[in-house]
Amino acid sequence: MSCEGRDGKGTEMTIADVVKILDGKLMAGDGTSPRAVGAVVANDLMSDVLLHDADDILLLTSLASDQAIRTAHIVGAMGVVVHNAKPLSETMIKVANDLGIPLVSSPLSKYDACVRLHDAFLAEERS
Amino acid sequence: MGEYNPTILQGQHTNDDEILAKTPLDPKALGGDSSVIIMELLQRFKVRDVMKRQVISISRKATLREAQSIMRENRISGLPVSENGRLYGLVSVNDIIKGLDGGWMNDACEDHMATNLVVLEAGMPLAFALRYFNNYTYGRFPVLDSNRQLVGIISQRDVMRALLYELSVEIRKLERKTRGGQEQESQSKEHYFRKEWAVVRNDLSRAGHAANDIKSLLRERKIDRTVVRRVAVAAYELEINICIHSHGGVMVLLISDDTVTITAKDRGPGIPDIEWACRDGTSTANDWIRSLGFGAGMGLSNSKRVSDEFDIQSEVGKFTKVQCVFRIPKAEG
Amino acid sequence: MTVDEICAKVGGSVAVAVEGASAETVYVGDLLSDIMGHAGEDCALVTIQNHLNTIAVCTLVGCSVVVICHSRPVPPDMADGAKREDVAIVVTPMSQYEAALALSSLPPSGR
Repeated sequence: MSCEGRDGKGTEMTIADVVKILDGKLMAGDGTSPRAVGAVVANDLMSDVLLHDADDILLLTSLASDQAIRTAHIVGAMGVVVHNAKPLSETMIKVANDLGIPLVSSPLSKYDACVRLHDAFLAEERS
Repeated sequence: MGEYNPTILQGQHTNDDEILAKTPLDPKALGGDSSVIIMELLQRFKVRDVMKRQVISISRKATLREAQSIMRENRISGLPVSENGRLYGLVSVNDIIKGLDGGWMNDACEDHMATNLVVLEAGMPLAFALRYFNNYTYGRFPVLDSNRQLVGIISQRDVMRALLYELSVEIRKLERKTRGGQEQESQSKEHYFRKEWAVVRNDLSRAGHAANDIKSLLRERKIDRTVVRRVAVAAYELEINICIHSHGGVMVLLISDDTVTITAKDRGPGIPDIEWACRDGTSTANDWIRSLGFGAGMGLSNSKRVSDEFDIQSEVGKFTKVQCVFRIPKAEG
Repeated sequence: MTVDEICAKVGGSVAVAVEGASAETVYVGDLLSDIMGHAGEDCALVTIQNHLNTIAVCTLVGCSVVVICHSRPVPPDMADGAKREDVAIVVTPMSQYEAALALSSLPPSGR
């Protein structure tokens, strides 16, 4: 599902915004990237993530493995969030840096994150 | 036009160096009226595309005699002095000759190495790098990445070799265009680029690395974005398949003028019912595999779905080979 | 929230009906180990794992409603397992993100 506002315009939420909204911490990658969220995908099955055609996906996942990063790279995602403050391995952080994928750790559950992001999109629309 | 700072390891920056670093090669400097294609190649290709990545180096405290032996064994005429990726200097054949003459071959390299070095940045286009070759007499330059780590070494020969290869590719393309439309119908499947990656069974930490490489490579070559996405997805699916379902195998990438081909070949166990395997949702993955987020049974059907041509062959106990072909849309003009 | 209410919110259909099944909270997840570690009792599990293992995890966690996303088909062994263990299954065309928003009037699940 893409994050289009009611008038069809895309969101301007960047990864830096995501870090704030999800009480998160940037663990790898460029936190200043201007790329905006094109779609939110909340999924732990990487083969399923591959089915999404959208550009600039923000991937919300509980899979704290290199695979989440590699899959994100394949689909051109703009960032990966790992939930429940799951500890991230050094290799996952290294791969994220190597492939240039912003990686965020958030204490929130995926469900909470979905709701917060949506509220933020709505707030953006209203402003 | 990017800006590159001249990097001198020790010693003075001169004004000339600043200008050198910031001005790309003048087409006339190559002699006469240089073609647009050559200039485009020189701009497109970076030092990192052409440099030797296996840098043979020596530590500061090692002796000149050891340096001599390394240079002889490896048939190189310049040996960087580096430790932990940090570059300190360079020992050249001249330093060895002087050492033999002066009788100090047992001295440490650091006492005699050249330190007033010019180094190039990995991301620098060849158009800039060639200026250095033209203006300095050094035969080779060490290459540093953005973290000032030694990542390669580049000589004029490396540049010429790469340029000649790419030029022949461009000339072939031109020849085909001038021959007219009907030539393009005939199987112009001549692949000008091939790369292969080994995929190790159950090595989940690396699983997908070939697909990531393939995606980066195709993006660098500015191939159509939607094609790159589809190729990357198919490559990833097929690579994971090799990793979790087979005894191990290889991923091969082939690029021709109008197609990209991905081939995934493994050493077995083979697929008894190919039709079943290609269906959505059917998988032989066990619980362990599923617990890691794989095994949804979409691999083959996904790859088939995104490719323009899909072929799978398998023999139980022997091998499985999957080939996906993607057509590159013709660019205008 | 009853199964019918959940079904209406996610624009789905009931694949396995269970009398009296309901959910108080929501958990979104596909990794069985993650679900076991974080999903609370009485949650509606939003997932694409259309597999028998999901039912097993539901019984361990104590949840009685599974929402399968992206219209994934429910395999017969999963449906049978669900009926045996009194776990209701709703299938929705929505993604996990969309389904989460649709059910967001429910509080988050938690342990």
